[in-house]
Amino acid sequence: MKITFFRYFVRQTLANIFDNRLVHLVGVGTMVIAFLIFDAFILVFVNLNHWTEEWGRPLTMSIYFKGTPERVVLESIEKELLHFPGVTIKRFISKDDAMETLRRQLGGKAGLLDGLEENPLPASLEIILSRDKTGDSLPYQMKTRMETIDGVDEVQYSQEWIKRFQAIMEAIKLIGIVFGGLLFLAALFVITNTIKLTIYSRKDEIEILKLVGATNRFVKIPFLIEGSIQGFLGGSLALIILFLVYITAITKVDLGIGFASLDIIFLSPQFTLFLLLMSIIIGFIGSTISLGRFFRT
Amino acid sequence: MIQLFNVYKSFGSKNPALIDVSLTVEKGDFVFITGPSGAGKTTLLKIIFCTEKPSSGHALVDGRNLNRINDRELAFLRRRIGVVFQDFKLLPRRNVFENVALALEIMGFPLPMIRRKVHQTLRYLGLANKEGYYPPQLSGGEQQRVAIARAIINNPLILLADEPTGNLDPDLTMEIMALLKEIHIRGTTVIVATHSQELLKDTRRRIVTLNKGRIV
Ligand SMILES: Nc1ncnc2c1ncn2[C@@H]1O[C@H](COP(=O)(O)OP(=O)(O)O)[C@@H](O)[C@H]1O
Ligand SMILES: [Mg+2]
Repeated sequence: MKITFFRYFVRQTLANIFDNRLVHLVGVGTMVIAFLIFDAFILVFVNLNHWTEEWGRPLTMSIYFKGTPERVVLESIEKELLHFPGVTIKRFISKDDAMETLRRQLGGKAGLLDGLEENPLPASLEIILSRDKTGDSLPYQMKTRMETIDGVDEVQYSQEWIKRFQAIMEAIKLIGIVFGGLLFLAALFVITNTIKLTIYSRKDEIEILKLVGATNRFVKIPFLIEGSIQGFLGGSLALIILFLVYITAITKVDLGIGFASLDIIFLSPQFTLFLLLMSIIIGFIGSTISLGRFFRT
Repeated sequence: MIQLFNVYKSFGSKNPALIDVSLTVEKGDFVFITGPSGAGKTTLLKIIFCTEKPSSGHALVDGRNLNRINDRELAFLRRRIGVVFQDFKLLPRRNVFENVALALEIMGFPLPMIRRKVHQTLRYLGLANKEGYYPPQLSGGEQQRVAIARAIINNPLILLADEPTGNLDPDLTMEIMALLKEIHIRGTTVIVATHSQELLKDTRRRIVTLNKGRIV
């Protein structure tokens, strides 16, 4: 029984698509546009996210010492630091240098420091991390590694960047979710109505099927398959178009002004697959909604 | 088999299509529903087939109250009722074989069995050489027979036929009536709606006459 139904559904779906090629084509075309807008938005969003992450990475790192480090210790630390990618050693700040800087900063109130018996400021090594070579977790890895070294008191890296950009990122994410959600609903609405078109074009057939005793489920399944296929076709075409536009765009940008640092990324394979799956699901949900409306009236 | 109790049916503001219709049809009966055009014959068949619900009153078919039947139960009930519609309701873009096979496909029968039964039924109705034709390529009488083939292919308990000879010439009319008789002899309860007095001239069958929605 099951196999017969399966064969019927496959044949019926293909026949439906073939008999209504024009309606089907219009449907897929509409979906391509809807998905393209949605996918393009996701791509812009992913890139904004990528840039804020890029720019949000720490730039400077300071290694503070207990007392004044010996020359040998300093050299071995510098050597070890250079093993990490994208690291430039800026300068060594001795305890006296640090005090000097502080005095300058305090200006007229520098007299306050005269009462100190010994210099409480630590010596430190300042290094610069290059943004594009530093991974997300590298600063933290470096910090934990360095802090195990004898003579090193503490490692700090500028988190202000991260914090500032995190706030922007959170805002962008929120806007992204709201706007993406709205776009999703708009796509669903358009697609639901498109599928309704294909259902209405076959309402005589649905009526006859029901008159000869077909269950609702039996009538609906070919439409659900068709909606999913439309979703798949619309979704893949939209992604292909988006990819072609992306390729064209990055070559244009590269040839133009030196925008190299503002690199545009494409969606990851996993994300692409996810969007494709979404398109299929939207096609399926769209058919379910249209069928629900049709069967109620 | 079929029982109607004080059935009313009205479509909005106009005079009701059916007024206080009570009717019992036993298993194995052959009944004509007659009356002038607009008397409510088609509406009565629609009530029995549950494409229209009574505005008030009750309709029982094969033990089921049609006021309290869900979609799924209705689908299964319809598999046991064959209907020949006045306008045939054939799918114009499916050929004769496919149109008739539809009634079996929805039940999930295996394909070889569907083929065998469809061939057999079409042969029985003299349509063996029309299997690949599409409804628009057929004459009215042939379309009528395709509709009958689809209605009887499941050996239904009940066969409803709405003006089955409506636009046929006298020879074809005789042919179709002979066919319905045969189906009746094989054990199916048959109800035929017709406005043609000609058809009822020499029949000894039960005749239910409707006028302006009432049984007279
Ligand atoms: N769907 C409908 N909507 C409105 N009025 C209808 C509908 N179906 C039937 N009627 C009306 O009900 C009456 C009976 O119609 P019908 O049952 O088709 O008569 P018959 O089949 O005896 O010619 C007619 O007056 C017709 O106009
Ligand atoms: Mg009628």
